[in-house]
Amino acid sequence: MTADLLIAAALVGLLAAAAGAVAPERLRAEVVSVLTVVASGCGLAVALGVLRSGRAAVVHTGRLLPLGGLSLRLDRFGALFVAVSAVVAISAMIFRLGYESHALSSRTASCVLPLFVTALILVPAAASVTTFLFVWELMAITSLLLVLVDHRRRSEVAAAAQWYAVMTQFGAAALLVALVLLATHADSQSFIAIAARSAGVPAWVRSTAFALAVVGFGSKAGMVPLHVWLPRAHPEAPGPVSALMSAAMVNLGIYGIIRVGDGLLGGGPAWWWLLLMGLGALSALFGALHAATSTDLKRLLAYSTTDNMGLVLLGIGASGLFASTGHPSLALVALVAALLHVVFHAVFKGSLFLSAGSIQQASGTRDLDRLGGLLQRMPVTGSLFLVGSAAIAALPPLCGFVSEWLLLQALLHGLPSSDLALAIALPVGVAVLALTGGLTALTFVKAAGIGLLGQPRRAQAVETREVRRSMWAGAGILATLCLVFGVAPFLILPAVLDAARTVTASHVLDPLVRGWHVGLAGAPGALAPGLLGLGLLASVVLTAGIRRALQRAAVRRTEAWGCGRELQTARMQYTATSFGEPLTRVFEDVLSPAHDLDVSHVAESRYYVEAATFHTSLEDAFERHGYRHAASALGWWGRLARRVPNGSVHRYLAFGLVALVVVLVVLG
Amino acid sequence: MTSAWPAPSVVAVSVLQVLGVVVGGPLLVGLMRKVRCRLEGRVGPPVHQPLLDLRKLARRERTRPDRASWIFSVVPVVLVATTLVIALVAPLLSTDPAFGWSADLFALIYLMLIGSVVLALGALDTGTAFGGMGASRAMTIGALSEPALLVAVLALSIPAHSSNVPTIVARSLAHPAWLATPQRLLSLVAFLIVIVAESGRLPVDNPSTHLELTMIHEAMILEYAGADLALIKLGESMRLIVLLALFADLFVPWGIATAPGVGHVVVGVVAIGAKVAALGVALAAFEVAVAKLRLFRVPELLAGAFVLAVLAVISALVVP
Amino acid sequence: MSSAYSSTLTLAAGAVLICAVVVLWVTSTRSMLIVVATQGTALGCVAMTLGVHVGDAGLIATAAVELAVKGLAIPVLIDRAAGGALDRERRPLVNVPASLVASAALIVLAFTAARGVATFVGATSGALVPVGVATLLVGFLVLVSRRRPIFQMVGLLLVDNGIALVAFLCTAGVPFLIEVGVSLDVLLAVVVLMVLAQRLRSEFGDLDLDELRELHD
Repeated sequence: MTADLLIAAALVGLLAAAAGAVAPERLRAEVVSVLTVVASGCGLAVALGVLRSGRAAVVHTGRLLPLGGLSLRLDRFGALFVAVSAVVAISAMIFRLGYESHALSSRTASCVLPLFVTALILVPAAASVTTFLFVWELMAITSLLLVLVDHRRRSEVAAAAQWYAVMTQFGAAALLVALVLLATHADSQSFIAIAARSAGVPAWVRSTAFALAVVGFGSKAGMVPLHVWLPRAHPEAPGPVSALMSAAMVNLGIYGIIRVGDGLLGGGPAWWWLLLMGLGALSALFGALHAATSTDLKRLLAYSTTDNMGLVLLGIGASGLFASTGHPSLALVALVAALLHVVFHAVFKGSLFLSAGSIQQASGTRDLDRLGGLLQRMPVTGSLFLVGSAAIAALPPLCGFVSEWLLLQALLHGLPSSDLALAIALPVGVAVLALTGGLTALTFVKAAGIGLLGQPRRAQAVETREVRRSMWAGAGILATLCLVFGVAPFLILPAVLDAARTVTASHVLDPLVRGWHVGLAGAPGALAPGLLGLGLLASVVLTAGIRRALQRAAVRRTEAWGCGRELQTARMQYTATSFGEPLTRVFEDVLSPAHDLDVSHVAESRYYVEAATFHTSLEDAFERHGYRHAASALGWWGRLARRVPNGSVHRYLAFGLVALVVVLVVLG
Repeated sequence: MTSAWPAPSVVAVSVLQVLGVVVGGPLLVGLMRKVRCRLEGRVGPPVHQPLLDLRKLARRERTRPDRASWIFSVVPVVLVATTLVIALVAPLLSTDPAFGWSADLFALIYLMLIGSVVLALGALDTGTAFGGMGASRAMTIGALSEPALLVAVLALSIPAHSSNVPTIVARSLAHPAWLATPQRLLSLVAFLIVIVAESGRLPVDNPSTHLELTMIHEAMILEYAGADLALIKLGESMRLIVLLALFADLFVPWGIATAPGVGHVVVGVVAIGAKVAALGVALAAFEVAVAKLRLFRVPELLAGAFVLAVLAVISALVVP
Repeated sequence: MSSAYSSTLTLAAGAVLICAVVVLWVTSTRSMLIVVATQGTALGCVAMTLGVHVGDAGLIATAAVELAVKGLAIPVLIDRAAGGALDRERRPLVNVPASLVASAALIVLAFTAARGVATFVGATSGALVPVGVATLLVGFLVLVSRRRPIFQMVGLLLVDNGIALVAFLCTAGVPFLIEVGVSLDVLLAVVVLMVLAQRLRSEFGDLDLDELRELHD
């Protein structure tokens, strides 16, 4: 039954793609959105069915793909990711109904969008190497095309897509090698067989495969230093697509790392996980720092994706480390915390990206320095953005808090430990978690405070109006989930726990207390987010009531204090740049901002300044230092290689001969 | 740790805590002001002056800048409300307040964060330069003090195997020698620095400044008046007393009520009152002696607190 | 008795390390000297505690020398070298927060690396060996990251104190003569540096070590 639904999801997805290609332009958006929602709905139904029953949905068709056919098997672990992708896709498609984008309504885009969603649903179900690589590439290429849709109007889009194309193909190549390496040693390309035989694979092969998988999947998850494409491509994509990419596609990078590391390889030595923790910590700090200093709303959200995925990698690393040092119960807790954060990140980041899409469409810009005062003009979208911001800043009683709390508990209970790796890694993890937490709070105070509050920073913004109902409904579904999962984590915890048990084949007894309160079994100290939420609500009502009883007169509107100056213009407000300035200064050595002060003097005297322009920019250090050099080295190599083919047919034929000889020598 | 409805005596303790925080907060601020004045050779207003101020402000009209949204009016309420919840669930005068099991030390810190975030949002909502300035500075300091705070909490939690305040307190009471270990002293200093930074006291921020450009916290609440201002003032004094009381319980736990019963609770009230008052006097005396740091020296202070917290963790691991 | 011994020893050794960190923290010469004096005293207390515990008169005498030289004489001499001027380290090569975080990393490294020694020596004194190593590393960090000669002297002193701490803890007592010799060596180095600093000041009017680079050309 579940297998049929899985096929149905894929078929409806293909149908939606076909409909996108043939439907008349007038109906295209509606038809595609509705059909894609149906496909995602099927996906969600399969996922929930598998999560509930624990029986995997298996589809195997011999002829659909070369080299072993299409092989799908959705277990509880994959189902968790399918469910997340499906929920995000449903919200994004409802949002899509109201989203006005000429580019996204083109025939190509309408055809590709459902394919992208279908690929997102199929990737966690792939059960063999070829199937996995096929759907993975389908996801990469469709998302690349969707990033490109706006390339005619803005030149940045092409550059972003170029970065994305290079990085995603690089990642895919790494994955190809990793999976083929495992498949050849296991003598089968089915994931089940690989998992069963991986223990006998030589250690260097296992380590190489793991490292390559971290590179390949990490680049998709936006792991530093392979993140450079993410803050470029995610913002340039149209609203619903960037939500799908940042809330659903990055998760699959995490999925892959866990599937290969814990699932196929069945865990590994401590250094794997220390490496992962290190990369996660680096991503978290780097992403948080750049998010805190970004002024482009969607770029900020994209960097914050890198930050959150870093935290997830930190959790996965900690989990592996616990497993390899003999703490299976804590390993499970850390993995649950990481997976929970994946789910919650999808929920709040999806809602934030959709709201940001609404803001961009309504106000025509995503530059925070030119926004402001939107809460009064777009009350619903603004409130949804506030909810998402509070969730990502881990404020109780919203969902981001629960997963961070659980991760902190896992790190805390690993200590004191006689194991040196744990004794160093865990405190560092706590410090990283704390600093990124603080920076995230700052980032989203900035995003919400500068974008939504205060006065509009330019004249056009005054006329901004609320977007259509379906757009805020799409964001609203996810924002509601932020609150629901935040106060009642027990709705999702069992599913996540089952997923984590499935992939690690862990048999430890239930390590978590989960009812209205969450906590580690057998340890004092728990968290009752629902109760805290209720308490907060009650005390807000009480305090507001007391204020009302004390002071019944209406609030008087006044002019704000401006040191005696009467007229206060919108330009006198703090902007996103100025808000982040103290932080930029504190982390000057890391961020190395470029300042450019240009002063022109009046002709008569150098003592009088005619005009002064100040320009400041912050570039990604990895992009500036690492990738530029890599690119120039590649270019040099390319120029060198260009000398070899000189146009002579004989020389080209000689290449063929040499290649043949080399092959024969190698084989012989 | 049960989810059953708590016993009436336990609820009474919680209510007592809330009342103590609501009334004690302003009194603490008054006491600190008095000590400062005395040390500076002035007479100073009476200790209960902040309460009188609150009464006066509560009757005054509320105002709102003409461009601000509803957020601006919600901020004072949320600030007080979150602190009320903390006062309700945190083990301040008894190790077992009602619903004490619903929040550990990390949760209390995150609850505290709500107040900081809404204050900054309210400041940005005024649409003025000062509001943005205060919000930006306060959030930067807050972000930088977070690592020191959480790592110090970690150092305290390691020997107790829990981040639950009652568990930590119970461990300290059972092993009094533990209180003089380097890990405790180091995390104590780190905690103190963070408390000073978070509550906007000297040398990080000067609560009595009148110069807008040097303000951090005051710049954020510049636009509030009347009942709103009363709530904000109340909220921040409540935050201060909650922080100091938690500090007192973590580092000098003696006297806290560990069992229900009138006798224990009375001792607990007296003990926590004395400890908080002593801490307040010490802080005030310290404030007289120091000048405000330049804003960009504050990260040095917080980095120092962080190193001390890391040292505390190391010594907790090495010398269990 | 034993618990009082071990907690006193731990506190005193901890104070040595914290003083080293605080040297990185402060920028004014005067407060730094107070820290240095405190560190010398704490080191003396370590030696004294060990001496009393073991009942070794030589060690107690060494402790007295340490207290006198490092707790009093050297700080006073450095203060003289500073000429009583209240100057500050204004532009350290590595800024204060960064050097503090770096010191945290170095301390973690010290505890990692010195673990073997710690278990080899055993007991409370062994467990504290990493503290000495960490002090040494932080001293080097001061040497690397600060420009003023006064801070250079203090860095040297931190390195020496770290070594002394390790020596005390490992062997429960360096032979009296050697320790006195080393202490006097450091004293001599400080005197030489002091003279050098005064000559520098009178020649160039400033005490910035980076400006010595110009002499090279």
